Amino acid sequence: MAKEPVRVLVTGAAGQIGYALVPMIARGVMLGADQPVILHMLDIPPAAEALNGVKMELLDAAFPLLKGIVATTDVVEACTGVSVAVMVGGFPRKDGMERKDVMSKNVSIYKSQASALEAHAAPSCKVLVVANPANTNALILKEFAPSIPEKNITCLTRLDHNRALGQIAEKLNVQVTDVRNAIIWGNHSSTQYPDVNHATVKTPSGEKPVRELVADDEWLNTEFISTVQQRGAAIIKARKQSSALSAASSACDHIRDWVLGTPEGTYVSMGVYSDGSYGVPAGLIYSFPVTCSGGEWTIVQGLPIDEFSRKKMDATAQELSEEKTLAYSCLN
Amino acid sequence: MMSSNSLVQRLMKWCPWLLRDEPKKPVKVLVTGAAGQIGYAIVAMIARGLMLGADQPVVLHMLDLPVAADALNGIRMELIDAALPLLRGVVATSDQAEAFKGVNVAVLIGGWPRKDGMERKDLIGKNVAIYKSQASALQQHAAPNCKVLVVANPANTNALVLKQFAPAIPAKNITCLTRLDHNRALGQLAEKLNVHVADVKNAIIWGNHSSTQFPDTSHATALTDRGERPVRELVADEKWLREEFVSTVQQRGAAVIKARKQSSSLSAASAACDHMRDWILGTPKGTWVSMGVYSDGSYGVPEGIFYSFPVTCEKGEWSIVQGLQIDDFARSKMDASVTELKEEKRIANGFVI
Repeated sequence: MAKEPVRVLVTGAAGQIGYALVPMIARGVMLGADQPVILHMLDIPPAAEALNGVKMELLDAAFPLLKGIVATTDVVEACTGVSVAVMVGGFPRKDGMERKDVMSKNVSIYKSQASALEAHAAPSCKVLVVANPANTNALILKEFAPSIPEKNITCLTRLDHNRALGQIAEKLNVQVTDVRNAIIWGNHSSTQYPDVNHATVKTPSGEKPVRELVADDEWLNTEFISTVQQRGAAIIKARKQSSALSAASSACDHIRDWVLGTPEGTYVSMGVYSDGSYGVPAGLIYSFPVTCSGGEWTIVQGLPIDEFSRKKMDATAQELSEEKTLAYSCLN
Repeated sequence: MMSSNSLVQRLMKWCPWLLRDEPKKPVKVLVTGAAGQIGYAIVAMIARGLMLGADQPVVLHMLDLPVAADALNGIRMELIDAALPLLRGVVATSDQAEAFKGVNVAVLIGGWPRKDGMERKDLIGKNVAIYKSQASALQQHAAPNCKVLVVANPANTNALVLKQFAPAIPAKNITCLTRLDHNRALGQLAEKLNVHVADVKNAIIWGNHSSTQFPDTSHATALTDRGERPVRELVADEKWLREEFVSTVQQRGAAVIKARKQSSSLSAASAACDHMRDWILGTPKGTWVSMGVYSDGSYGVPEGIFYSFPVTCEKGEWSIVQGLQIDDFARSKMDASVTELKEEKRIANGFVI
């Protein structure tokens, strides 16, 4: 018996990440090869023709899992009945723009999208905010959609998490699938803290700590961290465009693991509403290590935090508190 | 005497990999023109198992021009950043020999693009040089039995040049992409009939991947609540099927460019994955697909050109579906595409010293 289709919303769908993401969703990469989907794609009126072009291409691809397409500039139509919402749309930073200006634009967008989601999405809709500043956009969304359970609003740090795994795999010359349990703490920004203290590598003689195998604390505490933190900029330098393929792929990983569960013994990084775990102030959207089961995420508890990590984790919490203050000042 | 239980325990301790299910050996897949739009879309799909299956590890070889080296490296970086379980390696290079070395599958997207004011003749000429050179690399460096899909336009004629200059490669291993047109045809029929596209099958694209392609619905069927019925009967509008439907499919590429201000990438990449997947893993029973293949004279199409036919695939081989009735209307359309392809061949040969 075929499954009932799931409605998946992608905002900013006419952009680069959207264009990479929608075929992945339509091919079952996000929700599984047996899960039919109906795609809702939203973008702003100037992008209406381009969005229609994406719709045409999705039809032209004859995807077996794609049971319907809604391509619209109307946020109500876009949000209606959706069980998964990937918010890629936002105001991009332009040359000469101050941080406050970017924040201000995005705060308005996420306030308005919050109302639409709350009123029209399916009750247990799972939300992933990708557009930057991701953590703060997600916080605004949460604040203005009070009837959406706070646990259902998350932001993307899986890209940073995957980048961390990739860097370790390159350093150790192993397959990336043999590396796990890196953690991204904090803000999806340059203050993120990529932590390998609990990361391991599968070897022929069992699972070994990354720190032991790399045997280079200096590298792990400096170059590794800054490489992961600044990887986005490195991609822009090479491609003259920001990451789309890897961002889209990581968004699929985030939703898939959330909905279908993480493998035994593996944790992933998600930006979630802080409950005060690990001395992180409650009331921020902060990236933590989580496991997922039964459609729910749970913060991995009890991991020892050394002094070095504490400082890093506090610094990124500090930045998020400042962003929160700035965001609220834009609303008044 | 050791009990079998303790032997198993010792094996688990000394060489645990012997007792794990061995995953498949990686397949090397080459994408040329990989720094472009279609390349960017397709490498993500290949690395996710959408071309060769969710259990088939791949090593990606990506080739582009030196001028695109930074961009290509950026894509390599993104593929690493995506931590993809099936991706066992990435080679990003502007060196043809390195790119073609040991590849089992080659998707040739790189080519000279048509520019404003360019004559078709010039487009063919520029691409003859490229495909002649790629033919040498293919013959010299690729793995035996490498399967080749030419995407870059003029696809059929580029495939022909490739075949002519790589005589050691079996002609049956060189194909060109008309699966995009085939999928577009299914999509249009599904919209017309208001059914799901997975319930429509056996449209055919005959001929050249150009405006003379002939999208043929004579043998297409759709699944309805009354079972599988001929599309001709369900649409019940011969005029629409012969005119509007044909021109919509023929001109769909231009329609997408008009809307997006860029040519189709997502759908082209997806169709290329479908083409290769069905070729290698086989077509479902009772379903045929369209592939540009080296003509054997079937259906009155002359040998010696690459022409899109209806095919089924089994055990890694394609076979032209034989015995389909061809009416006068189809005959004239099919012949027109033959004429164009013969003319393209003549022009291409004119560029070969």
